[in-house]
Amino acid sequence: MKVYISWIVLFLILFAGSAPGLCLAARPIGAPADALSPQSALPARTSDIPAPSPKKPDNAVQDEYNDDKNLDYDDELFKEERITIADPIEPFNRAMHQFNDKLYFWALKPVAQGYKMVVPEPARISVKNFFSNLEFPGRFLSCVLQTDFAGAATELGRFTINTVWGIGGLMDPAAGKELELQKQDADLGQTLGVYGVGHGFYIVWPVYGPSSPRDSVTIVGDHFLYPPSYIYPWYINRGVWAYEKINYASLRIGDYESLIGAAIDPYVSIRDAYIQYRMKQVKARKARSVLFKNTGEDQTAKGLSSQPEK
Amino acid sequence: MHKRSTVFFCILIIFILSFPVYAGAPMTVVDATVNRVLDVLRDPSLKSPTAKETKKEKLRVIYKDMFDEMEFSRRTLTRNWNKFSPDQRLEFVDLFEKILEKTYIDKIMDHPNEKIVFYKETMVSENQAEIQSKIITSSKEIPIFYRMILKDGKWKVYDVVVENVSLVQNYRTQFNEILAGNTPEQLLEILRKKVKAH
Repeated sequence: MKVYISWIVLFLILFAGSAPGLCLAARPIGAPADALSPQSALPARTSDIPAPSPKKPDNAVQDEYNDDKNLDYDDELFKEERITIADPIEPFNRAMHQFNDKLYFWALKPVAQGYKMVVPEPARISVKNFFSNLEFPGRFLSCVLQTDFAGAATELGRFTINTVWGIGGLMDPAAGKELELQKQDADLGQTLGVYGVGHGFYIVWPVYGPSSPRDSVTIVGDHFLYPPSYIYPWYINRGVWAYEKINYASLRIGDYESLIGAAIDPYVSIRDAYIQYRMKQVKARKARSVLFKNTGEDQTAKGLSSQPEK
Repeated sequence: MHKRSTVFFCILIIFILSFPVYAGAPMTVVDATVNRVLDVLRDPSLKSPTAKETKKEKLRVIYKDMFDEMEFSRRTLTRNWNKFSPDQRLEFVDLFEKILEKTYIDKIMDHPNEKIVFYKETMVSENQAEIQSKIITSSKEIPIFYRMILKDGKWKVYDVVVENVSLVQNYRTQFNEILAGNTPEQLLEILRKKVKAH
């Protein structure tokens, strides 16, 4: 009996002992004012090379991080293989990157800013919805080809509902809380990706931007599957196309600026962002595909990183 | 003797079990930190343009509290970290932080009324986690994932994944490419120029 009592006492002591620790860890979060005041009272830093954190001793930089073993970070825990893409035509790509950059800052951005001042945001969102609704054939076909039948059904439902109840697609009632039919970001280049086709190499197209031979299929396919492309004469359909781009840009002014503002080498940064984005998109679509759902992580990795490492 | 070992075992178990509790859930940490940021942004006493610097200073404190800059820097440099001398490392971390700050702080301060939803926490291992959140604006939803690591009883962010693009990986590709043909000193010079150019 005595033994049990001593056990209970032991438990109590231990739990009580860990409680102050709990409070300590939670304090800077639970009591922000408390944690902020002493530090925010500090004057702005004057020296050029301050210690990164007052709590960490300087030798942490030398000792704690000097281990060779831990340096090969590839975030294995997140199943992230090193993704690279071959870039054999880099000089051309860099030139096109420059061209597109200037096109944005000298033409697209000023026009979009002017347009933004004249047209209120809700109207611009409606315009975006309208064009997005017209892109339905490409998304639907891609879903079908990816054997994502649930996605295809969703797209069909969205198109019907938004065209009829959303005044020709100006509104997006299908994505509302009651129906929850979300747009499927499926395209043709991605469909090839789902079937295991690799990027090949990196291309920056003038006007269209980052791409690869595989993803260029999307540009061509979208042209044929996009109803406004069939407007005659050609300059009207190009005008419609440009208007759509300007409207879209007006909703995202600042995104491109911060992307290149944060980059050390904007060209490499965009290239990496592009392949990371596409790879995860293909992975996500693959998980929805009836055919490829169960092919496993290994295959996904193989199909996607088939590009040679640089 | 046998009893003593059982007691010892129990103590051990309790310590192990109490560890995650003591650190707090990672999602609560980010959620609370983001709310702290929003509180600073919405603080009516800091509305005037002259209070901009005070606001920035406050955000900086929160940033240091939330991010593990050392881990972040080291992960972007991977093997190249060893080529840097301790002084160069400190300067690198500092310059890197300045670049990030210059790019993002104005953007953050311009959007005090963003709606942010935290919806998923995945424990990848006992000391690593991923928190999924999204920023909802009138025209778009931006998914933002925070990757966190538990160090000294505190959850800190070491990578941010915006629209499926990992910041660490993006910088790693850039630094790898630059350091393939340049020395650490030259990379630091590029960073110094970038900080000054803003």
